[in-house]
Amino acid sequence: MKPKLLITSLTSCSGCLSTLISLDIFPQFLERVNLVYCPFMVDAHNISNNEVALVEGCVINEDQISILKEVRKKSKKLFALGTCAAFGGINSLSDKIQARALSKYVEIDGIIPGCPPPIKILGNCILKLLDSKTYTLPEKNLCSNCELRGNLVKKFTKTITKILPDNFKDFDIENSKCFLENGILCLGPITRQGCDCKCINLGIPCEGCMGPVNNDYTSNVINFLSMINLTSDLKKYKGIFYRFSKPYVRGDKY
Amino acid sequence: MKKVVDVCTRVEGHGNINILIQKDEISSVSFDLDIFRGFENILHGKKLIDAPRIASRICGLCHASQGIASCKAIENIYEIEPTTQSISLRRLLMIGELIKSHAMHFFFQSFPDLFVALKKHSNSLSFDELIRYDPLLTSNVFELIKISNEIVTLFGGRSIHLITPIIGGVQYSPSKKDISVAKKYFQKAITNLDWVIERFHDLFSKEKPPDIYNLNDPVYMGMQNNEEYDRYDGFLRLKQKDKILADFPVHKYQQFFTKQIELRGVDFHLNKDQKVIVGPLARFNIIKDFEMDEISSYLSYFDGEWKKNLIYSNLVRLVEMLLASYEGLSILENRNLIGKNQIKPIKSIKNNEGIGIVEAPRGTLIHHYTLDENNLIGKAKLIIATEINLPIINDILTRESRKLYEWTGDINQIKNQAQMIIRMFDPCISCATH
Repeated sequence: MKPKLLITSLTSCSGCLSTLISLDIFPQFLERVNLVYCPFMVDAHNISNNEVALVEGCVINEDQISILKEVRKKSKKLFALGTCAAFGGINSLSDKIQARALSKYVEIDGIIPGCPPPIKILGNCILKLLDSKTYTLPEKNLCSNCELRGNLVKKFTKTITKILPDNFKDFDIENSKCFLENGILCLGPITRQGCDCKCINLGIPCEGCMGPVNNDYTSNVINFLSMINLTSDLKKYKGIFYRFSKPYVRGDKY
Repeated sequence: MKKVVDVCTRVEGHGNINILIQKDEISSVSFDLDIFRGFENILHGKKLIDAPRIASRICGLCHASQGIASCKAIENIYEIEPTTQSISLRRLLMIGELIKSHAMHFFFQSFPDLFVALKKHSNSLSFDELIRYDPLLTSNVFELIKISNEIVTLFGGRSIHLITPIIGGVQYSPSKKDISVAKKYFQKAITNLDWVIERFHDLFSKEKPPDIYNLNDPVYMGMQNNEEYDRYDGFLRLKQKDKILADFPVHKYQQFFTKQIELRGVDFHLNKDQKVIVGPLARFNIIKDFEMDEISSYLSYFDGEWKKNLIYSNLVRLVEMLLASYEGLSILENRNLIGKNQIKPIKSIKNNEGIGIVEAPRGTLIHHYTLDENNLIGKAKLIIATEINLPIINDILTRESRKLYEWTGDINQIKNQAQMIIRMFDPCISCATH
């Protein structure tokens, strides 16, 4: 018997789904599962019982809460696919809607983070899930395999003034210094590795799309802020630390 | 008044079909998007250099177009022009994105429906039936998805929400190896597309496209550059039948259409019965002819009846992927692509507002930003292809549902037909619910 698989999207850009479809192993993957529900690919209207559910996107309204709860009820295992489902994602920057992670409403069996999820991690996760095995995510931060790290820096002395370099001319991964030592904000220290530092290798500091190594975003951010000096302009700037997740405040609608 | 709601399937994102029935007559059928994400609100207060990577997150299918339109809007504010090398790289990224997006739509969304629409099968094929029915077509299309994904990853840093397109250019200098790898990919894409287009022809060209999908002479809008097909740079053109209604640079767009922020829909200053359509079909209709024989001959397989019909857009998507692959090859032939790429430095702000335009896979995409007193984004206006197409989609839905209801009175048949009409338009709900 092929395992029954459900894939659905809540509030999302469909990017995780598009990453999944373009995986090398996707055609073989399709042959090995019985895709019982996936609005993007199949006509099925009803959420049915399944072994594995992959849900992308964040939760922004009551309808989505009830869809999610129904998925939970009908699924043996439920995984949050991508950073929106895992932490709230890019919509956390909105002050008109409350973007929430799946885990705020239902119990989840794991996350596959990233915006988009790195191909290696996603491929590995879904293969393991098909064989009913558990997968593990890297447990270290981005700095631990960053080529710019040099000697481990405990305290950053230079004041952070920018969120992106304004000169890309001199960037060269072998001879450049850590962004934080150059006064450019990089969220590598509080971000989970797994992306092979793709942005950093191209000269762009980390914006934190993989989320934190442990699940508590806020305490990570507070620790990090105690290690660095930000200019007042950047302190006021909305959307650096909570770009992919927003702390829950009492009185929020959902 | 009775309201029947059906959830759209096999489309990108969440949409509903709302059918309103009054006194046993259909009063309207509409394609409604009830989620609102508010990217205009998200971009408010953001630093200019931060905008493109946020804007890319509007859509996981049109991410390159969203990011590049955002870069172009900001480059307009700083009055900087990227190097030709950067522009070539941006074009390559948009080509990869287009092939992937069209290939996914063709396989999962439109191709299964074509059997119902043209061959009168009672149900559309599910994708496992499709794999069994035509394994070669399946493997050809999956290869296209894979190839385009590799091209985008090669020059964009990753497969979606690209890293390299930044304000002032593209932060990547291709090596000789990259170029030769990419050439092989495009050559493979051309081989596959020739095969797929021939297959499409064998299967469908003898069929008569049903009137349900007649477009009734819409106004086509798209970008052209000196009478040539171009998705990165050029003037917008409005054209109905053989008549060019207007050619204008994008900074004059407000003379022709406007959009109020947060109110979905774009208002065109045209007669009420003139409905605008954007996307591949429009891009091909606003150009007189194509110089490339391969393209013209594939288009000539189909007669005039086809060309008035929305179903023709499926062939156009395939041919557009082929055109894009040839364009990709010719960009790669250009020597200026190799070598250290220069990013144009950001200097002082020259304009208080900036407009960026590209032709995304599904049609014209405009980002229009106005600065606030701190030189942050004060107002962001995003004009999105699927929003432009909504009125014509709803027109056809209502027209055809009324007919079908008179004949059959069967609401389920109306739902099925509406689903297929919507899928033929290839809506991008993520973009439209930005």
